[in-house]
Amino acid sequence: MFSLFQKKDKSFFVKILNADKDIIVRKEEKLLTAALEKGIEWPHYCRVGSCGTCRCKLIKGRVRHLTDFGYVLDRDQINEGYILACQSVLKSDIEVEINFKQKAIGRK
Amino acid sequence: MKKFFINVRYFIVPVLCSITILGILIGGPFVWTGAILFLVGIAIDTLVINYHTKGAGFDESGKPYGIKELQNLVMYLMLPIFIILQAVLAWRIYQYTNGTDLGTISLLGWLPVHTGITGLELFGASVSAGAFAGLGIIYGHELSHTKDIGWPISRIMMGLSGAAHFCYAHVYNHHLELAHENDPATSPRGRNLYKHFWLSHMGQSKFSFELERDKLKKQGKSFFSLNNKWITGYLISLPTIILFVWAGGLVGVVCMFLVWTISNFELEALNYMEHYGLVREEDEPIEHRHSWDNDTAFTSWFFIEIGRQCDHHVRGETHFWELDDVGGPNPGWGYFTGFTLALIPPLWHALLKKKLDQWDKTYANDAEREIANKINKQAGYA
Repeated sequence: MFSLFQKKDKSFFVKILNADKDIIVRKEEKLLTAALEKGIEWPHYCRVGSCGTCRCKLIKGRVRHLTDFGYVLDRDQINEGYILACQSVLKSDIEVEINFKQKAIGRK
Repeated sequence: MKKFFINVRYFIVPVLCSITILGILIGGPFVWTGAILFLVGIAIDTLVINYHTKGAGFDESGKPYGIKELQNLVMYLMLPIFIILQAVLAWRIYQYTNGTDLGTISLLGWLPVHTGITGLELFGASVSAGAFAGLGIIYGHELSHTKDIGWPISRIMMGLSGAAHFCYAHVYNHHLELAHENDPATSPRGRNLYKHFWLSHMGQSKFSFELERDKLKKQGKSFFSLNNKWITGYLISLPTIILFVWAGGLVGVVCMFLVWTISNFELEALNYMEHYGLVREEDEPIEHRHSWDNDTAFTSWFFIEIGRQCDHHVRGETHFWELDDVGGPNPGWGYFTGFTLALIPPLWHALLKKKLDQWDKTYANDAEREIANKINKQAGYA
């Protein structure tokens, strides 16, 4: 069903596993932008890939990084599959986990 | 038709930059074209000071009037235009240092071109090129936010003026720390533009240096590598340096530094006007009140809505044609007018002291007001 929808309007599905929520993200649309437009209270701060507040763990699927996440995420986080939602566009349907109470990296 | 006019009004700089190139090519008194256009810009922006805009806007269905593909294409095309601008200046430097005879030839049978160039004309050509190389910053800025292919284009654009470090400092420092002393691009109350120019430029380069040092350390890589974006940023400027040295040796270097100084001065003047004297507590969210909006019609169209800073800093991922008027602080003038005022520090401080007093009363929260009171005493604004 997912692939049929994708071909029809060039959109992808995002399943937020720990919140039991689904959203549709248009091709070339940033994950964070789409989530906020759908009314999801996705944690965010700078929206330009600098603070890490919008990080989430990619469990399944593929995304394209618009920036080098190495400036914000450490090696372990990147290896664990963490991505920055504000700098990710989807290449397939994905599944993610996110801590809705997290703050910017290095901030209190 | 409405959509057409909304889109083409953002092509002022590409058109004027092309005219500036033509002026340097034709030579003689026409080398001053870019500088004169800049002065005309000051006059127009000041004349339309009461005409404010609301952004490119959206149609009835909520779709932006701005055409993404067209606006992106024009921004990408600005890169070769800026390269040509440097190339024609280098050609004139070459003529000057090689003593090409002064005269006139007809190009294509109708275009009179002055061969050779005097020292004064070379100065005029450099000022014109610097004025419009600096205006390239608005495209470098926009593309640094577009990311993807826009990012390397932005870096090269800024590298043409020796300021490729701007892209990293702007995104990783300015967008996190603005209106706070941790942001070198934000001028505190009491500082003049000339001091800010130097401190902001060096502060951003220092930030970019430290960002790369920390990143490479985290990755277990050497500081001296091509993964170091601070180093590669300056390497991007190398072809420009080689071009000007080849074209005129010491004269070429002097002209290049004149161009770089003017263009970087314009960049820092924008930073200066965008957040001058505004205050924010560390780690507190960036809100609309932490930027100045400059939205006279001429500024909005000429500077492709970069003056819509209040919305830009809250929605940094948003394209310039989708930015809105959010009712943030606004000094009431455009960038050309503000730039002229900032060139005269006593006048600037007299005006901004009043504007900031108003900001403290109407926009600041209690904590910000407390910080502002302390700074006002230090700056002589109390």
